[in-house]
Amino acid sequence: MNSSLFTPRDRRNYQVFSIWLTAAMVTFAGATILIDGGFVPAPLGWTLTALSVALMAGSIRSYILFLRVADELLRKVHLEALAFAFGAGIVAMMGYRLCERLGAPKLDINDGALVMLLCWVGGQLVGARRYAVAEEQ
Amino acid sequence: MENRLRVLRAERRWSQAELADRLGVSRQTINAIETGKYDPSLPLAFSLARMFEMKIEEIFFPNVA
Repeated sequence: MNSSLFTPRDRRNYQVFSIWLTAAMVTFAGATILIDGGFVPAPLGWTLTALSVALMAGSIRSYILFLRVADELLRKVHLEALAFAFGAGIVAMMGYRLCERLGAPKLDINDGALVMLLCWVGGQLVGARRYAVAEEQ
Repeated sequence: MENRLRVLRAERRWSQAELADRLGVSRQTINAIETGKYDPSLPLAFSLARMFEMKIEEIFFPNVA
């Protein structure tokens, strides 16, 4: 993403959000592997799940805080990316449900979330490119 | 919406980055406003007007089409 969309304050807030999100994703992936593999007893599995959900909630909060004070063009880019990701996720999940009825392999609900995540990142890149500045004028 | 931002900025010999810093926005926001890709919010339009000591309607005006 073109960093000139970010003011120093936005960059700091986005870094905080990135740390929350990375921690949440790593914990979620770790918990999934440990629980699926039967490597942890049930109480520890529940603890890891709770920790993972808590970190995801923290990610949401830090993203909202980032958006509230973000540069207004940056906020517009992010809100459009979110709208695109939400729509694409719904279309992908509903569309694929029909494909499953026609014999396509069953997918996990996490795959829908992955579509949303990729579309959110893609939407940010497209938005940043739309307002890209080549040189100082 | 059209605007005279680029002319007003050039008259004061301010770079986009300098104006952006003064207003607390990104340089890309200033560039997008100048090129007509983005219309600023009312608070930012007021900040611009205050910065140039002008009225909003002296900086921004509707497209005549």
